[in-house]
Amino acid sequence: MLDLRSPLARVAFAATLVMLGLFLFFPVYWLVVSAFKSNAELYRVIPTPFVLAPTLEHFRTAVLKGDLLLHLKNSLLSSGASASLNTILAIYAGYSFAKFRYRGRRAIMIAILSAQVFPFGLLLISLYPILNDWALIDTRSGLVLSYIVFALPVSTYMLYSYFTQVPDEIIEAARADGASELRIFHTIVLPVSIPAVVTVFLYAFMWSWNDLLYSMTIIVSESNRTVGPGLLLNYLNEVNSDWGAAMAASILASLPVVAAFGFLQRYFIAGITAGAVK
Amino acid sequence: MRNDAMAGSVTAPISRGASAGGLKAAERRIGMLFAVPALLAFAVVIIVPFLRALGLSLTEFTLQSIEPRFIGLANFSRALADARVLGAFATTAVYVTGATAGTVVLGLAWALILHQSFRGRATLRAISLLPWVLPSTVSAFVWGWIFNSRLGVLNAVMLEFGLIDHPTAWLATPGGAMAAILITKIWLSVPLFMAFFLAGLQSLDREQIDAARVDGARNRELLRDIVLPHIRPVLLVVIVLGVIGNLQQFDTIFALTRGGPVRATTTLSIEVYRQAFEVWDIGFASAIGVLWLATILPPAIFYLRHLMRGA
Repeated sequence: MLDLRSPLARVAFAATLVMLGLFLFFPVYWLVVSAFKSNAELYRVIPTPFVLAPTLEHFRTAVLKGDLLLHLKNSLLSSGASASLNTILAIYAGYSFAKFRYRGRRAIMIAILSAQVFPFGLLLISLYPILNDWALIDTRSGLVLSYIVFALPVSTYMLYSYFTQVPDEIIEAARADGASELRIFHTIVLPVSIPAVVTVFLYAFMWSWNDLLYSMTIIVSESNRTVGPGLLLNYLNEVNSDWGAAMAASILASLPVVAAFGFLQRYFIAGITAGAVK
Repeated sequence: MRNDAMAGSVTAPISRGASAGGLKAAERRIGMLFAVPALLAFAVVIIVPFLRALGLSLTEFTLQSIEPRFIGLANFSRALADARVLGAFATTAVYVTGATAGTVVLGLAWALILHQSFRGRATLRAISLLPWVLPSTVSAFVWGWIFNSRLGVLNAVMLEFGLIDHPTAWLATPGGAMAAILITKIWLSVPLFMAFFLAGLQSLDREQIDAARVDGARNRELLRDIVLPHIRPVLLVVIVLGVIGNLQQFDTIFALTRGGPVRATTTLSIEVYRQAFEVWDIGFASAIGVLWLATILPPAIFYLRHLMRGA
């Protein structure tokens, strides 16, 4: 679109590209490089720009010392469960809003979408005693339940936009054949919506996986801790700051979301920007 | 918790076949039932806690109290007279303005770059969302390490280029800490904003651009007269989303500075957390939280109206 034939324009373009590229990707590069450096290399006053002698010692420390693997497992279970629950709720709500017209539909839709504007910290203040009453503090179920807050509105909206594009004709044809509404949805609409469903699941998974505030507050014991607060509490506290191990642990903690995202990124971008392109 | 309030979409979809008029009453009822589970979940995790917090904001409820005692609006008058709370409002204003403006400008620039064709563009686009997917603790670690006073690469580079004389403990100075939380938040949000802007740019009319070129428009005129007006609606919604998300942001600030040094990076989110889970002054925390919600309400209403357009 831009005309880059003049040398000045080319230079300006290249300079912006390099500067923004450095800003976005250098930190990721530095994370990886630092994780593979030996302590001797890591603690040089003038840092080496790349790894001179790669070592896995920090990964060994990250895995063997502390409970990283346990925290990863806890995160996997709670994020997986909450993302599944969230996706199921969003699927039916999104379909309801997209394909049915009934009294109160707008009001219910606004209510669910408004969930994302409540400050999570404010909700947590009173969610905490509620979870306490139900004996859900320091449990995975408590965390899974709380996580619905994060992703439900956006998930519902994403699926709603997707379902509005499913032609009414195929639904009506099935109705004319006497199929029940549930059956129509499960056998006709849902199978053609798998990419959207997967995107929503992934989105919800990411939110839960990346959370700090709720997991830090609702989970109390080390054995139930998830990966976000786990990293924070195990590294970089006042007594010890093992940056090499912190970087290695960060990489391991990021792998699940990065892998899932890399796998599905095309759907993912289309999903989160749904409707932006007309 | 990423707190991006990020959301589905920038423009509401146009429903293609809203012709559900032929539905029988029974079908409509089933349609409504589909929404019930989500509505129930919403009630349990949002509405009930919210109403309870609203109630608690009118009470005195601390570690010493056996149960909440109604004190009317006293928490609110106390909050609005409290220099620390007012300070948190000011800090939040600085943070939200800086983070939103920075993300919009850089996100738009990055989208314009990735809209241009050049070798390696596909790869860059593919990896561009990476900062956004990383867990918030990881983002904070990455930047905490860069800003580190003794071994950070930022100090090393600035010393090398003679920009500073001696290593600076960035996170220990009020300005440095604010800059650090801003940079971290901008860094992790630029990818997402870029995706929104790119989606907007891709719907530009090629012929309109070609016609402008024939008329002798240069890059600057093209951007000003065609591109900016075209993405204006997207821009507006992205700004509003950014404001909502940044007003809510807690995780990266807490992980990076815990609100410090002293109170230099204590935004409303941090202040509410401290009052609730460190001081355990639940009534007061709820009142600050309600005031905090009030700041989110105007952009939120705008955004909800936008989402509901065409629904």
